[in-house]
Amino acid sequence: MIKLSPKLSQKLSYSILFLATILAIVPVVVIIFTIIKNGASAITWDFLTSMPKDGMRTGGILPAVLGTFSIVTCAISITLPIGVFAAIYLNEYTRNNLLTRIIKLAIVNLAGVPSVVYGLFGLGIFVMFLKLGVSVIAGALTLSIMELPVIITTARGALNSVPYSFREASLSLGVSRWQTIRHIVLPNALPGILTGTILSIARISGETAPILFTASVFYVPHLPHSIFDQVMTLPYHLYIVSTQIPNMPKKIIFGTALVLLIMVLTISFMAIIARIYFRKHRKW
Amino acid sequence: MVDKIKVENLSCCYNKKCVLDSLNINVIQNEILSIIGPANSGKTTFLRTLNRMNDLDVTYLRKGEVYLDNDNIFNMNMENLRKRVGMLFAMPIPLPMSIYENIIYAPKRLGLILKKSEQDAIVEQALRDASLWNEVKDRLDSSAMKMSGGQQQRLCIARILAINPEVILFDEPCSGLDPISTAKVEESMIELKQKYTIVLVTNNVKQASRVGDRTAFFLMGNLIEIDKTDKLFISPKERQTEDYITGRFG
Amino acid sequence: MRKIIDTVIETVIFICAILSIIFVVLIFGFLFKEGFAFFKDFGITKFITGKFWNPSSNPALFGILPLIVGSTLVTVGACVIAVPIGVMTALYISEIAPKGIRDILKSLVELMAAIPSVVIGFVGMITLVPFVRIFFNIPTGLTAFSGSIMLAFMAMPTIVTISEDAIRSVPWHYKEGAFALGATKWQTIRRIVLKAAMPGIIAAIMLGIGRVIGETMAVMMITGNAAHIPDSIFEPVRTMTATIAAEMGETVRGDMHYKALFAIGLVLFVITFIVNFIADLFLGKSKNK
Repeated sequence: MIKLSPKLSQKLSYSILFLATILAIVPVVVIIFTIIKNGASAITWDFLTSMPKDGMRTGGILPAVLGTFSIVTCAISITLPIGVFAAIYLNEYTRNNLLTRIIKLAIVNLAGVPSVVYGLFGLGIFVMFLKLGVSVIAGALTLSIMELPVIITTARGALNSVPYSFREASLSLGVSRWQTIRHIVLPNALPGILTGTILSIARISGETAPILFTASVFYVPHLPHSIFDQVMTLPYHLYIVSTQIPNMPKKIIFGTALVLLIMVLTISFMAIIARIYFRKHRKW
Repeated sequence: MVDKIKVENLSCCYNKKCVLDSLNINVIQNEILSIIGPANSGKTTFLRTLNRMNDLDVTYLRKGEVYLDNDNIFNMNMENLRKRVGMLFAMPIPLPMSIYENIIYAPKRLGLILKKSEQDAIVEQALRDASLWNEVKDRLDSSAMKMSGGQQQRLCIARILAINPEVILFDEPCSGLDPISTAKVEESMIELKQKYTIVLVTNNVKQASRVGDRTAFFLMGNLIEIDKTDKLFISPKERQTEDYITGRFG
Repeated sequence: MRKIIDTVIETVIFICAILSIIFVVLIFGFLFKEGFAFFKDFGITKFITGKFWNPSSNPALFGILPLIVGSTLVTVGACVIAVPIGVMTALYISEIAPKGIRDILKSLVELMAAIPSVVIGFVGMITLVPFVRIFFNIPTGLTAFSGSIMLAFMAMPTIVTISEDAIRSVPWHYKEGAFALGATKWQTIRRIVLKAAMPGIIAAIMLGIGRVIGETMAVMMITGNAAHIPDSIFEPVRTMTATIAAEMGETVRGDMHYKALFAIGLVLFVITFIVNFIADLFLGKSKNK
């Protein structure tokens, strides 16, 4: 083996690391570029606002868009309050003890459960045991449990960012603990919680496996009108049109993928904008 | 000469490291009691015990009793105690809201005021008593975070006055302030003792001699000496006290 | 009044906090209930060591060995690709990249995590799969190999972000010491920084593995879903996750097949529990430094 001088070996290593970085980034660019290039022409007003026709091969994706919208709205309104309250308990009411350690372990564990296992669980408890059937609410409950650890973790971060002295000042005035949280801690943690929530919305909008057996179905001839309806959803629809239907026009598949991609990326982008805005307008 | 606060055999420890050792001390109604002593003498722990701010710390352990007007403070509801015994911290901590909101925050939460007209009156009175009114009356809606350090500290005093406590605890209230702001805070302290009982913890021996009616000297968790301020400064009984106030250690 | 409101709210807060525990117990409970019923009927050894998964044959065969092999193969393949690239990327971003482009590189890596896995699966299907088929001249591009590549990139954001955190939290004075001895920056990075950041990097890898094992949609779309034990990575395989996702729709609720899928879920749950537990241990270790 040839012994390289330290200088040369440094140069060589840096180039290799740079190449690795490029390699890590290329797929993202390829994926986004491929979808935009092939899908852009499919996006028309009609595509977004009409029902699928001819066994999905023509027509639009409106019911899938609305289905995803309703499931995500329900899921986030369930998981957000629970997650924030749990974070408040962990951050504001207790220090390390056995119970909080078990809760934290449970959260780590929940965060690691595969999404398809959440799907199984949702099927077992909500669809079958609680007899909610395959429905918006069963899917939303499943997703909300899946997203709970993420919400708790971001909310804890946001609560932690509020200076401890604010709590002390408020408590020293005879204001109760909950009032201090409600009027001082929460308002100041809100930006962080909001940003985290928007990111969660983006994430669960694209989830397929948890709603596979709990909410989504192949085709529904009408738009969703109750939380007990089964619905079409965008990610499941993409799965269906890209794998389950022979002779599917490529344009529709790419169009569906592009709508899903734009939706998820726009929401994530909003979170980034929100974070920058809040950082600039920080009160302390 | 009525005792406002009576402390009996108070011992305090954090994580088994004890910082106060069976302390007996009293605070007389409408006096300013200054507490001096080097770092780790237990003076801040003592102060934070008086309105139970230390209870927030899980490693904190306490023995002994403290009476406020003959009521044991450890049997009292924490919020009621803190309403009666206000505390000013070393660094000014304005809450991230407007000057006006800072003042009415606690009275509102405690259910002391309901009407808007009452609020205005309370804000004005509190700011006047803390000699801040003239400086801020035209910008009550601006953020309290934008005031100078000295103004912020007086705002914190005003905030305490708005809930009308009986005792006010000052924890090195001027450590972050310049001499002019310090003088202003000291002035308001002297005015406040007409209505309130004051306990002042300070690192500044001169400050204790300027404002204190009585002064207590703490060392390593023990009360070494307590006396009328001029007496303690002119002819201290204990050798350690003399060493400390003449600057030989600490 | 104030007191009552506080007590009510604090009770609600407490309940929300212990819900996490309840959910974990419920998830385990539901998987265990169905899975245990299956083990009783079919036999746990036959389930774990059975070489054939064929629910529609007569008698139905529920051996998950081919599925475990499928999952393992894809996961190992993904790690072989993702770990070196991910750690090198993390090193580049945290130690070498110029300040100006550091954040851009980081957000581009993280962008991958934002793309839904069906979208990734779909793009893989139409780009990577035909490429693999033609390049290696094999009958189908739907192989464990294609799946590994796709999963490697899906694990990348996790590995890079957490490794980068670990590398960045290496105290400055560690490096200073090496510089003072005349080491080049690269020598310092290789000998000192990498070593000090190792617990965090291991945690990052474990979390990446957790993500790969649990990934469902993209794997199902790319690996070909053949439930047999493959001879090489250039053959189709079927993972545990894909089996659950693909077959649940065909089962009759409550029958043997349905319960068998829950039993697979139980196996997955236990595996990911262990993986994440180890990751958490290493994370704690890296934070205590």
